[in-house]
Amino acid sequence: MFADLSFHIEQGQWVTIVGPNGSGKSTLTKLMNGLLAPQSGTIQIGGVTLDSHTVSDIRGLVGYLFQNPDNQFIAATVQDDMAFGMENRCLPRAEMQQRIDQVSVELGIQDWLHRHPSSLSGGQKQRVALAGLLVLDPEVMIWDEATSMLDEQARRECMTHIRQLRAGRGFTIVSVTHDAEEIMASDRVLVVKGGQLAADLSPMELFAREELMEECRLRPPFAVELSLELRRRGIEMDICRDEEELVNALWPSCPVKN
Amino acid sequence: MMKSSKLVMGRYVEASSWVHRLDPRAKLVAMLLFLATVISAHSIVELSTISVIALLILVSSGIPLSRYGRASKPLWPLMFFMFLFYALFEQGGSVWFEIGSFHVSSEGVLLGLSAVWRMLLLVCFTSILTFTTTPIELNLGLEAVLKPLKLIGVSPQQWTMMITIALRFIPTIFEEADRILKAQASRGADINDLKLAAKGKMLLTLLVPIIVGAFRRAEDLVQAMESRGYVLDRARTSLRMLKWRRVDSLFLIGFGVMLVFTFVM
Repeated sequence: MFADLSFHIEQGQWVTIVGPNGSGKSTLTKLMNGLLAPQSGTIQIGGVTLDSHTVSDIRGLVGYLFQNPDNQFIAATVQDDMAFGMENRCLPRAEMQQRIDQVSVELGIQDWLHRHPSSLSGGQKQRVALAGLLVLDPEVMIWDEATSMLDEQARRECMTHIRQLRAGRGFTIVSVTHDAEEIMASDRVLVVKGGQLAADLSPMELFAREELMEECRLRPPFAVELSLELRRRGIEMDICRDEEELVNALWPSCPVKN
Repeated sequence: MMKSSKLVMGRYVEASSWVHRLDPRAKLVAMLLFLATVISAHSIVELSTISVIALLILVSSGIPLSRYGRASKPLWPLMFFMFLFYALFEQGGSVWFEIGSFHVSSEGVLLGLSAVWRMLLLVCFTSILTFTTTPIELNLGLEAVLKPLKLIGVSPQQWTMMITIALRFIPTIFEEADRILKAQASRGADINDLKLAAKGKMLLTLLVPIIVGAFRRAEDLVQAMESRGYVLDRARTSLRMLKWRRVDSLFLIGFGVMLVFTFVM
């Protein structure tokens, strides 16, 4: 699947993996927590080489959020699902309860603890899945198109939570996504194509590379797209990240009416 | 939608009685003792005594008796045939009347009645287990009660994990079925308009996408479980704890005594 693929992610970095469909983005992330095993080459997480002996320790460091919120909900109530990972690590009951209380308040899900997953919406389920990872206190979060099945509002909420959590806990994030705003929020983008690393750049650099964007079937956020288009038509301006910057950049160049 | 919300709760009937608060392990073991008692009871006196005790417990569970009656409904035809067979084929005592070459005797009728009586007793009383225990509690109790099976190489943890997952996914799969039915209806194949045979065929076409979906789901689920540290048969703790109280011991002792009595008498 991959040939000659090598990269290093700094602690605390938010890295987005993009690429055309079938380029192996999910495979790559699944290699990172031992869900799949490499045929050759090595994977190191936190200085530890991933192999059959270390895989359970490494899964303790790496939380993995899957795409489909329905298929990662294991127990029949929210509370039991949050406990699932901790039960597997044999944590004492008092500590489980304490972590569940803390994380459920943090994510605002304390009122749902006794509900069955089928009574929750997709966004709510994804938030519970996130809670189930946070109680394990991971250092790395893998995010495999985790917002792609959510509606716009739920996606935004999810992103807000992630930003806040990252500011508070400072974990490393690896996310696979097609969403421009999610890419924009990250520090660095890895473009995977044909089993190789096609590019390693910043989100803004990626948005400016039309041929890469085209190949990965990505579209830049509206503000970026507009400023790129205006530049192409000869208007001198910086590339803007959001609408506020865009307004500020365009305002001075508007002709003043008298 | 109604269907799935009903399933979530299993057969659990909400009420706050002492039976609801009993430890599921006590209830499970007591049911086994009750089963043995009913089977070993022979005389009318014994059966009556057991019935009175069972009735008292049923009444005190805070669930209407009709509910228990309804639980036995699916078995009524079976009970009827059981009675018929005993009445027609069992000989002894005085012959009451003849139908063709069959002799209906007092002995046969009596045996038939007591067989039906026992079955009714068993079905109604064991319903108390599922009526007063939530599926999650029941599952925990089951895991504890089955623990000795580890000695012969069977893993109760695997079974209860299967039950947990079933409890979690049955409503989801029903929802999916509902969605597929609606999708088919929106394309003009409404199951409600069809004749019985066509309905059956339609349900078959429903099975394929549901089974395929379930397999895909299973694969995702395995990865989600593994990435959260689940290893088959490795020891794990549990968030939920069962509390054994004195009333549980008394409950169990009561059933033990009942069994001993029917055995001795």
